[in-house]
Amino acid sequence: MTIREAADALRARRVSAVELAAAAHARISRLNPQLNAFITVTAEQSLEQARQADAELAAGRDRGPLHGIPVAVKDLFATCGVRTTCGSKIYEDFVPAIDAAVVERLRAAGAVMLGKLSMHEMAYGVTSANPHFGPVRNPWNLTHSPGGSSGGSGAAVAAQLVYAAMGSDTGGSIRVPAAFCGAVGLKPTYGRVSRYGALPLAYSLDHMGPLARSVRDAAMVLNAIAGHDRRDPTSSRHPVVDFIPDDGCSIRRLHIGFPENFYFDQLDPGVESSVRGVFARAQSLGALVKPVRVPDVAALNAVGRVILLAEAAAVAEPHLEHREKFGPDVLTLLDQGRLVPATDYINAQRLRRRMCREFDQLWSQVDCLIAPTTPNTAPRIGDTTVRLGGREEDVRLATTRLVRGINVLGLPALSIPCGLSSGGLPIAIQIIGPAWEEALILRVGAALEDGGVGIPPCPAAEVL
Amino acid sequence: MKDWKAIAKASGLEVDAAQLNRIAEPLEALEAAFRPLANRLTPDVEPATGLRLEADGE
Repeated sequence: MTIREAADALRARRVSAVELAAAAHARISRLNPQLNAFITVTAEQSLEQARQADAELAAGRDRGPLHGIPVAVKDLFATCGVRTTCGSKIYEDFVPAIDAAVVERLRAAGAVMLGKLSMHEMAYGVTSANPHFGPVRNPWNLTHSPGGSSGGSGAAVAAQLVYAAMGSDTGGSIRVPAAFCGAVGLKPTYGRVSRYGALPLAYSLDHMGPLARSVRDAAMVLNAIAGHDRRDPTSSRHPVVDFIPDDGCSIRRLHIGFPENFYFDQLDPGVESSVRGVFARAQSLGALVKPVRVPDVAALNAVGRVILLAEAAAVAEPHLEHREKFGPDVLTLLDQGRLVPATDYINAQRLRRRMCREFDQLWSQVDCLIAPTTPNTAPRIGDTTVRLGGREEDVRLATTRLVRGINVLGLPALSIPCGLSSGGLPIAIQIIGPAWEEALILRVGAALEDGGVGIPPCPAAEVL
Repeated sequence: MKDWKAIAKASGLEVDAAQLNRIAEPLEALEAAFRPLANRLTPDVEPATGLRLEADGE
């Protein structure tokens, strides 16, 4: 059931918010011991919120499509009175006195908060094999990673523990778990969604966005969380529109870019054939697929890594005297970041400005770009390398190869599932658009979804 | 190319040789990609971050 279907059922009194929340908690009780998607479950509080949602609907107060819908947030969003760990030993006892802006807005929209979702330690990695809270597992195959860093969000959405979840994306951390778990994941334009109250990884790269069961569900969540917030100095006043694609929306005569360079290098063959199939489907729906050469994305990735190393180390610096509190992979990255000279950080930010201008020119040729989200499917938990195109690659660098650069540019990108590998693991595309064009990429995603691009619901969610 | 191991030691990082390699090797690879880009920058290119006063905001 999607958010829209649940919302219709609520308003037709076929189901109550309390029943939706209770059913979600029953699934969490049954499945979370294996998936480890949640760090904290707020059962009592969520049932109270659900009772309030029912009472409001009965009294004629309707807060919109998220009213009474069970959701959860990654455990880096501050939740007033509820522990917020950031998947870290450093914050294991941190109980905020505030709600993050995103949490405030979800509550204001009537959403029911089921709890806090696990993640890669400090959001600094893509496996969600958390050394302090245990590995999150992929509902499509429990021996595989859900991706990260928003791994609990991806697993919880795919296993239908929640209708939608909030994640954060600094170098692919919404799109990667969405891709590996077969969910929809949206990284909005930088500045579109407030970062206030979200524990930072890298200030200039962090984006907040939803993971959901469908494109329209992701759009409904974006409607609730988008907009200016003076408490986030990078929050934009760019006008917020209704992001929900119309029923029967079309991509006829839309120019969709097919990247001739970079994005199809060194892919898993199953990923490549599945993604190429999406272009054929888009053409059959009337889109004009245009081959384009994209600017140097490998250079963009290098720039992104320099910025991330320096900013993340700056954020974590006060805690680095307690080295025993960090997992080995995160500690290594933080140590690397402390060695990056200020000149390299500044020059990376200068290159970033130039690359943004170069990439802007792409939008005079096409309306959006479609590319694979990841070159691989979900690796096994514990794998540190992956073999692609005959080459052994570091799992983290391979997995983020096609997503990281878009964070440097701040552009919106939507990951949607498009197929299953021969091993039964999800494959996904990302639709990348010009700044502030979330409505456009959501329309493209919805049209493709309506046109048959997608995968069946995760069968393991029924079997587990 | 910078000697990242020497830089790490000079910064006071006390780790064993294996960990020093884990820290230094990715930085060497990253520098190989990054340094040529940075060296081509011209003075007119300003950084993408900076102070934005309230009145200048979007």
